[in-house]
This record gives sequence, structure tokens and C-alpha cells, in this order.
Amino acid sequence: MANISISRVKREFAEVVKSEEAKRCGICIKMLNENNFTKLLGEITGPPDTPYEGGKFLVDIEIPDSYPFNPPKMKFITRIWHPNISSVTGAICLDILKDNWAAALTLRTVLMSLQVLLSAAEPDDPQDAVVAKQYNENIHLFMKTARHWSEAYAKARPIKTQDFHEKVRKLSETGFSDDSCRTALSKSGWDEQRGMETLLDS
Amino acid sequence: MESDEEGIYDVESDASINYNSSDDGIYSEGENTAHGEANDFMDEPTSYKCLTSDQIFNYMMKVVDEVNAILQLPPHITCILLNHFKWDKEKLMERYYEGDQDKIFEEAQTINPFRLKGKVVSSNTNNITSFSMQSTKRPLTTQEVCDICYLPSQHMNGLQCGHFFCIDCWNEYLRIKIIDEGQGQKIACPANDCNILTDYETILSLLRGSDIKTKYHQRLTDGFVMSHHLMKWCPSPGCSVVVKVTTAGTRNVTCICGHAFCFHCLQPIHEPVRCPLLKKWLRKCNDDSETAHWISANTKECPKCRATIEKNGGCNHMICQNKSCKFDFCWICLSAWSPHGSSWYNCNRYDANDSVAARTAQEKSRAALNRYLFYCDRYMNHRQSLELEHKLYSKIKFKMEEMQQHNMSWIEVQFLKKAVDILCKCRNTLKYTYVFAFYLRSNNQATIFEANQKDLEMATERLSEYLERDVTTDELSNIKQKVQDKAKYCEGRCEALLRHVYEGYDMDLWEYLDE
Ligand SMILES: [Zn+2]
Ligand SMILES: [Zn+2]
Ligand SMILES: [Zn+2]
Ligand SMILES: [Zn+2]
Ligand SMILES: [Zn+2]
Ligand SMILES: [Zn+2]
Repeated sequence: MANISISRVKREFAEVVKSEEAKRCGICIKMLNENNFTKLLGEITGPPDTPYEGGKFLVDIEIPDSYPFNPPKMKFITRIWHPNISSVTGAICLDILKDNWAAALTLRTVLMSLQVLLSAAEPDDPQDAVVAKQYNENIHLFMKTARHWSEAYAKARPIKTQDFHEKVRKLSETGFSDDSCRTALSKSGWDEQRGMETLLDS
Repeated sequence: MESDEEGIYDVESDASINYNSSDDGIYSEGENTAHGEANDFMDEPTSYKCLTSDQIFNYMMKVVDEVNAILQLPPHITCILLNHFKWDKEKLMERYYEGDQDKIFEEAQTINPFRLKGKVVSSNTNNITSFSMQSTKRPLTTQEVCDICYLPSQHMNGLQCGHFFCIDCWNEYLRIKIIDEGQGQKIACPANDCNILTDYETILSLLRGSDIKTKYHQRLTDGFVMSHHLMKWCPSPGCSVVVKVTTAGTRNVTCICGHAFCFHCLQPIHEPVRCPLLKKWLRKCNDDSETAHWISANTKECPKCRATIEKNGGCNHMICQNKSCKFDFCWICLSAWSPHGSSWYNCNRYDANDSVAARTAQEKSRAALNRYLFYCDRYMNHRQSLELEHKLYSKIKFKMEEMQQHNMSWIEVQFLKKAVDILCKCRNTLKYTYVFAFYLRSNNQATIFEANQKDLEMATERLSEYLERDVTTDELSNIKQKVQDKAKYCEGRCEALLRHVYEGYDMDLWEYLDE
């Protein structure tokens, strides 16, 4: 019943715009096209004391006809290094977007849950196996890589990972794109030799 | 547990439809018992009942009432508890009186109604239904905003957990759960982080539309039916009847919708082959897409003039439609029909000498494939004929009307329909004899089986040919005698074959090839 879906999204939309809590947390929802309530854009500010701090993460939101009885479809547009989010596709592993969805949840509550997910990853239920492995085996390297991705893709400031930016720049002189080089290095523990091999293998 | 249930609930008296009340079953097994013949391999029609979804719901409610006589809870709560314990009454009682009742309610995802006493103001306090959801309907004067659609509504409803939503949202939510997801007993409150299950009383009071209520009744009883090993849903698509057998040994059942199936594996009736072997066969047929393609062809070329011939009746005696050819041949083996009518009919048996001749490994595997194709082709042919035989029912109906205009009564012309029933049953049996034969290692008994199969095949083709062709041209006075003779012979051959196979099962005479 599309009319419940549309009236509900309209209301939610108005509510988020007014919500003080949303503003304080750095969460907002935008429409991509006027009068189209099925394709929306969410924005989450990276939470403090995390490698995502200060970053702006864009989330693609698709509202199904059966909303709110079925969950909205969400994925990260901004590339992010996180165990529960695919570093390749931006797909999100979050229970409330699947089985634990409830009709009384809202886009705002989901975006806030995503923000919580950024502060507290769940590496036991990973979406990206490579990232989760790094998270479990070398948390320090994970934090720095995640920070680097936030600086590179989510405009997080100040720059704290100058050495990684330098490695990416050097490797990209081989002709591969910055994105490919960054991914290869991140997956290879920032070892230039192995990063190069990863690039050539892919 | 099953046997005492029978006694207590006595569903037979009011909540069942007798098999005999239906006469559109394709396999008229009633005929066999009417003759009083000893056929221990056939299931007696009285050994099962067909229950509609309302009847099964009533049956379920009788179980609920029975338990409730002791527990003294609102029936919809007892229903949730029983479903949680997979309808094991004893287990529920044992746990209930063992101690921690709150824990049982929590595990079953419902709320202990005794905890709510005095908390809920009810307009209907004089009986047990005061616990029900009606009592949690809020007064109509206040308008509240629904947490799902965000619109104000005067018709807010909720479960005992206290989460309220408007009637439109409830209906949309339930539609998705019941129709799209096929749920019944396990539909939880739509609120976030609330696992309290909806009860049938609330749902039935909320649902609008009789279609969805019917669907809900069915889904609601799923858990009950599945927990009961003597009950199964009819597997026919869209059918919502439950077949309930009296003993676990009952095998062949016919639903009141007309679908005849094996109670054990839910496949269509597959005598004489047994369920595990059939399963193996079906898997093999599915795996082999190339050969499946090969056998699915519905057309063949005339072996003489190469004209394309489409099979449009069940009879395997083909006559080329090319007027200048008119070759008579067998659809199965594509050789001339003339020897098929005589006793050296040899079309049912794969010549083992051919496979003995195979020397190299490659030839062997080709021989194995050819062997499979040989049996598969015959299996598919009978299957296809069986499907086409259904056209025969309408043809025969026409003939029956014609005969009634010539001084024959309705009762008198029923022999024709019965003959088609027998034809279908024989075709179905023949179809599965090729599955049985495919896995059978040759021994003396297997040779007897093949002879029986050959006899049945010949008799069936004769009956088929007569019903399809000659019945329209023959003198009315001749028809009855001829049809009855041929049908009776066919039926006799079929029973002989089945009896032999079942004796073989009992005496462990069959040896199987490993595949
Ligand atoms: Zn609503
Ligand atoms: Zn609730
Ligand atoms: Zn049925
Ligand atoms: Zn079976
Ligand atoms: Zn021809
Ligand atoms: Zn033949």
C-alpha cells in the first residue's frame, strides 16, 4: 500500500528536519528529486573518538512500497573501512535492516544505529572479511587505515595519516588509480611490495 | 498420544468429510473394496479423512479446550503456549505445574494474563475473554498518532504489551506477514524490540476481508498439523485440505480436491515403487538435463515416411497422418504395431544382450545411458499418456450423454467413466513399473515381474485404443460388454502385478542394482 509508505516518509522527513537530536548528532536526510520519496540520501557525521570523527558519510536510501512494514534498503555511498560495511560495495550488515526491522523504527533511528555501528563495530558478524580480519588481528593498523579512508573519502580533518597518503601517491605513479592503490595497500597491511602484488593479481 | 486423542476429540462425527462423499477421485479405489477382493496392498478408503481448514481449526480448538479445562487460561493464550510446546499437551502441563510459570509465558512470547488482573479496565469482566485484546482497545474519544503511519486515528489497537497501532497499519502489517511471508502463529507485535506474539482472537478481530481470514486460519494451524504425524496438508497447489490418516501405514490417499498422493512422500501415487527409490529416480531425472531434453519431445517422426507426428491421445498405437502412408506403429519403440497386438509383444523389456555386447568402457557408459533412456522414455510416455487421458473424460462424458438418449439410465452408463478410471490407474502403475524395473537386478522374480508388466501394458493399450477410437464407431449394443471386459481384464492384470511386487517386498525377493 503505497499511500502508507509515502505519507509515512513525508512525515518522517518533516520530523528529521525539525529534530534537535538529529541535528546534535549530525544526521540528516535529503531528497534527491522533488516529490520522489522512494530515493533518498542520508548523511551521517562520523562520531567523536573514532577513526571516522569529522567525516561526512553519505548513505543511499531506497524506500520499498511495503515500507514501513519492510525495512528501507541502505548502503554507504562514501567509501568506508569498517568490518560490518563492505569496502567494495558499501553494503551494510545490520540486524535492524534485516530480520529485526520493526515498522515502528524510522529512517532517523536507522541512521542513528548506523552511527552507533561506526563507534562500536561487531567484528563477529562481519560484512567485509578482510577488514574484520585486520580488526581482530591488528586493531592499531585497522584504526589508522579507517582514519585514512575517512580522510580520503569523507573529508575528515585534520589529516593524521600523511604517511599513508604518501604511499598511495607513490604507488599510483605506476598508473593504477588512487582508489585501487588505496584498497590494495589497505588489504596488504600497507606493505608496498605486497600492495603492488595485490594490484597485479586483481 | 495419537490413539487417545482419537477417543477424546472424536472429530470423525462432525468435523470430517468421508472419502466416499466424493466421486470425482480419479483413482476409484472404492471399486476394489466393493468387490470384496483381498487386496492388502491397497489402502482402504476409510483409513483416512479429509479436513477442510475450518475443520482443522475446530479440531485444533478442541485440543486447546481440552488443555484449558485444566489450565483455565484464555483459549488464545493456551493456543500460543501449546504451539510453543509443539502441541505436546503433557509437556506443557508438566512444565506449567513444575513451577516458574512466568518463564513459560516469556519463552512462549506471550504475557501471563494473571499478571494483568486489576491492571486492565475492561467492559467485559464477567468472563474469561476479559483478558483478550478487546479489553485493550482504547476509548474512542481520544485521538492518537499511530507509530507506523504517523497519522492520527480513533481506532488504535494493540496486544497486552501495550503497543498500539491504527487498524489500517495492523491490516497492512498482517497482510505482509500472512500472505507474503506465510506466517500464522509466529507473528509478533510490530513494535520495535517487542517479541510478544499476536493471538488468533486479536488477529481475527482486526482482519478485514474473508480471503485473508481464511488464509490466516490455514497458516495458524500449520504448526498443529506439522506436529501431528498422522496429518498432512494436501500438496496440490492452492488446496488447503488436511488429510488425516488413522494409522501410520496408510500410503495412498485421495484428497477431496481430486489429487491422489502418497501420504509418506507427498508425491503423486507411485505404486508399485517405494518412496526412497522414487526419490532417487526423480533426482536422477532432474540431474540429467540433457536427457530430460531428449525425452521431453512431444513429437516424433513416422518411422516409415518421416512425417512429423504429434501425440494427441494417450494411446501408443500410432497411425501416420500422412494419407499416402498410414503406417501403424508403436509410439514407444517406433516399430510396426502389428506384433504388439500378439503375445510376443516385447516392447517393455530392454534387451540385456545389447549391453553385454558393450566392450570398452565408453561403450559401457553409453550402454548405461541407453539403458536409462530406455526406461526413462517409457516412464515419460506413460506420464504423457496419462495427462492426455484426461481429455478422454470429456470425450466419454459426451458418449455417456448420447447413450442416455438411447434408453440407458445414468447408472447404466457409469461403466464408461469407471473404465477411464481404470485406464488411468493402470497407466499410472505402468509409469512407475519402469522406475522399479530400472533399479531391479534381473532374477527369476524380475522375469515374472517383466512378464506381468508386459501383460498389463498390452491390456492397457487395448483398453486405451478401444476407448479412444472404437467406442465412437461401434454399435451401442456392443460397447458395454466390450468395455467392461477389457476394463476388467486390465484391472485384473494390474492387481496381479501389484500383488506380485508387494509379495516380493514382504518376502525380500527383489534385488537392486547399485547406481
Ligand atoms: Zn497507522
Ligand atoms: Zn508490543
Ligand atoms: Zn487437495
Ligand atoms: Zn511415496
Ligand atoms: Zn508415415
Ligand atoms: Zn513398442
